[in-house]
Amino acid sequence: MSRPGVVIAGRLLLGLGLVLLWTLLHRVLGDHTIAGLGDIAVRLWEIAQNGVLLRDIGVTMLEAGAGLAVGGLAGFALPFLITRVPGFEAALRPFIAAAMGVPKLALAPLLILWFGIGLLSKVVFVALVVFFLLFFSTLAGIRGADPRLIAVARVLGLRELMLLREVMLPSTLPFVFASLKVALPRAISAAVVGEFIAADTGLGSYIQNAMSQADTVGVFTGVIVVTVLVVVVNAVLDHTQKRAMGWRHSAIGGF
Amino acid sequence: MTPGKGGPVLEVRDLARCFGGRDGRDDALAVIEGLSLAVAEGEFVTVAGPSGSGKSTLLNMIAQIDRPSEGTIHLRGETILAPGKADLNPGWNCQIGYVTQEDNLLPWRRLLDNILLPLRAQRRLDADARTRVAALIETAGLTGFERYYPHELSGGMRKRASLVRTLAYDPPVILMDEPFGALDAQTRTELHADLLRLWSLKRKTIVFVTHDITEAIALGDRVLVLSRAPARVVDEYRVDLPRPRDVDHLIAEPAFARLYESIRQSLARQAPKARRA
Amino acid sequence: MRIVVYRAVILALILACWQGASLVFGAHWIPAPAAVMRAFWLQAASGELWYHARYTLAAAVIGFLIGGLPGALLPFLIRRLATLRAILDPYLIAGYGAPKVALTPLFILWFGIGLESKVALVASVVFFLVFFITLAGLDSVDQKLIAAARVFGAGPGLIAREIVWPSAIPYVLTGLRVAAPYAIGTAVVGELISSNRGLGYSIQAAATNFEPAKLFVGVVALALIVLVLNAVLDLLEKRLLSWRPTGGIAERAQTSF
Repeated sequence: MSRPGVVIAGRLLLGLGLVLLWTLLHRVLGDHTIAGLGDIAVRLWEIAQNGVLLRDIGVTMLEAGAGLAVGGLAGFALPFLITRVPGFEAALRPFIAAAMGVPKLALAPLLILWFGIGLLSKVVFVALVVFFLLFFSTLAGIRGADPRLIAVARVLGLRELMLLREVMLPSTLPFVFASLKVALPRAISAAVVGEFIAADTGLGSYIQNAMSQADTVGVFTGVIVVTVLVVVVNAVLDHTQKRAMGWRHSAIGGF
Repeated sequence: MTPGKGGPVLEVRDLARCFGGRDGRDDALAVIEGLSLAVAEGEFVTVAGPSGSGKSTLLNMIAQIDRPSEGTIHLRGETILAPGKADLNPGWNCQIGYVTQEDNLLPWRRLLDNILLPLRAQRRLDADARTRVAALIETAGLTGFERYYPHELSGGMRKRASLVRTLAYDPPVILMDEPFGALDAQTRTELHADLLRLWSLKRKTIVFVTHDITEAIALGDRVLVLSRAPARVVDEYRVDLPRPRDVDHLIAEPAFARLYESIRQSLARQAPKARRA
Repeated sequence: MRIVVYRAVILALILACWQGASLVFGAHWIPAPAAVMRAFWLQAASGELWYHARYTLAAAVIGFLIGGLPGALLPFLIRRLATLRAILDPYLIAGYGAPKVALTPLFILWFGIGLESKVALVASVVFFLVFFITLAGLDSVDQKLIAAARVFGAGPGLIAREIVWPSAIPYVLTGLRVAAPYAIGTAVVGELISSNRGLGYSIQAAATNFEPAKLFVGVVALALIVLVLNAVLDLLEKRLLSWRPTGGIAERAQTSF
C-alpha cells in the first residue's frame, strides 16, 4: 500500500512539472506552436465576456444532446424489436456487422452534403454515432440476459410486457449505462468533428476558424474548453450511474 | 391408467431427451430414455439419482422449459407436452410451480417484490393475497427482511424466499430441483422442517429431486430411484414413516435405517462399474 | 437453410430501398447502387483507390505500433509500483477521457498536414485504449492463484511468468483487437479535417466537389478494409487463445437451474 501523503505530493509535483514543461516549450518553440498559459487565460476571459463561449458551448451541447436523444432512443429500442421475431436477428447479423465496419466519423462529409452546414447535419451525425453504440450494447444485454432467470420468470407467469419490464430491461440496464458512458463524450466529439468540417457556430467551428487564421491561442483555448466539457460530463455521469443502480452495489458475483 | 378421480395428477410417459447430435450425426447423447412416472394428488414424491442422471432435465421438461425428444407429459389426463407440440408453455398457465436449484430471484427487486411478482403477473394481487403472503413470510421466518435486496440476504434466506414465491401463487403441482443443495447441513435441516410444515398446510403435489438419500426419505411419501444416464425409474420405495415427521429424530428409527440401506444399494448399483487393473 | 433466404430477401430490400431513394431524391444526392459499383471499379482499376487507401493504412499501422507497444508494455512496468501508479492515475484517466479526435487541430498545428499528424493522432488514441484494457487485465489476475503460488515458494519472477503474464495476455490481445478499427477510423478523421491524401481526404474532396458516387466509394472501401481487418483479427484471436475453455452445445443445453 502506498502512503496517501506521498501520492498527493507526487501528483502535485507532476502537475507542476507539466506546467513548467508547457512554459518551457512555449519559450523554446514559440507562440506559433505552443500557446502561453497566460494568453489562454486572457482569451478565455474575453470569450466568456463577449458571450462567444456560452453560445458555442450551447450550440455544441445542443447538437450532442439532440443527437444523443434521437440516436440513443432508436439504438435502445430497436434491439428489443428485432429480437421479438425469432430468427430475424440471426438473419440480420451480417448486415449489422457490415454497418459496424463503417467508420461512422467518415460519414460526416456525406451528411453535411445532405443536410447542410447547420444544426441538422450535426444532430443526424451524432445520432448515427450514438445509435450504433447503444444498439450493439443493448443487443449484447438482451443476449446476455440470464436464460435461467427468463425461464423461471415465464414459469411464474410473466409474459410479454411484464417480462420485458421485470427481467429484460433491468438485465440490459448495466449495458445501456456502460454504453451511455461511452456515448456521451463521443456525442460531444462527434458534434465537434462535424463542426470542424463545416459549420458557422459551435466549439468545433471556433477551433477551425482559429486554425485557419493561425490563431494558436484560439486553437488551444477551444480544445481546452472541449476537453473540460467532456471531463465534467463524464464525472456527472459517473455520479448518476452510482445512484441509479443501487441494487447492484456490492453485489459482486451476484449475477 | 385413465384420467379422472383417483387417477394421477401428473403423469410422464416414455420420456426421452437427447442432446447434441445435430445434422444427422450419430453422437447424440441420451440423457433420459423411456422414463415413466405418475404422481397422485397431494403426494410428495422424491426422485433420487446419481449426479448427471438428468434429474434437472426431467424437471425442466415437466415445467416446459425444455422439450422432450420423445414421450408425453400429462396433467390431470390432459396432454400438456409432446415432442411435436407447437409452443412451450412454461409452467402450464401457472399450474406447475418450479423451485430451481439456484434461487433465481431478480437481483434488482426487493425480497417482497420478488415474492409478489408471480401474483402481479397473474393479476391476482389483492388484499387477500397480501395477507396470505405475509403469513407465508412469517412462517418462513423472513419477516423484517421484506425490503432487502437478494444480495443482502444469506443463501438460506434466498432459498426460503424462492420457496415462498412459488407457494404464494398456489400452483397445484410444484417441482423442486435440489433446492437445498448448496446450503450447510444446519440450514438445510431447518428448511426441511419449514418445507414439511408449509406442505402440511396445503398438501400440494410435489416432485422433489435430490441426490441425498436422507432428504429423499425424510420428505417423501415415495422415493423413485433413477438409473445412470440415460435415466429411467429403476426402483420405487414407499416411505411408511408417520407424519408429521421430525427430521432430526427420524434418522434414529429402525424403519428409516432399513429404507436408507435399500436405497443406498439401489443407487450403488447405478454407480459406474469399477475398472479392473 | 431458411436463414440464407431471409438474408437474400433483406439484402434485396436494402438494395431496393437504396435504388428507390436514389430515384426519389435524385442520383446527384444519392447515387444508385450500380453507379457506386461502377465508380468503385473505375477507381480501383485506375489505382486511385489504392493510392489513398495505402496512405490511410500507413498512418493507421504506424500509429498503431507507436501507441500500441507502450500501451501494452507500460502496465506491466508500473504493475508493482503502487505509488507511481497512484500518482499517474488522474493524469492517465484525463488522457483517456480527453476527446482525441477533437484535438486533431492541435496535432495538425504541431505535426503539419502530412502523415506525421495522423500517426500521432492514431498513436494517442491507441495508446490509452490498449493501456487501460491491459491494466484491467493485470488487475483481474486471480489473487488466490498468486497466494497459492507463494505458499509453495514461488518468487516474483516465477509468479510473473507463470500466472500474471498468461492471465494478462488475453487482455493485451483484446486491447489491441479493440484498438485496430479505431486506428483506421482515427486516421480517416485526421484526413477529413486536414490532408491532401488518404481515404478521408478522398471522401472530403468528393463532398466539396459534389461527387457523391466518389464519396460513397470511399465509405464502402473503408467499410471493406475494417471488415477484412476484423475477420483477420478474429481468426488470430481464436488461434492465440485456443486454450481458453468454451462450453460445448451439450454442456450448455443441460444447464441446471
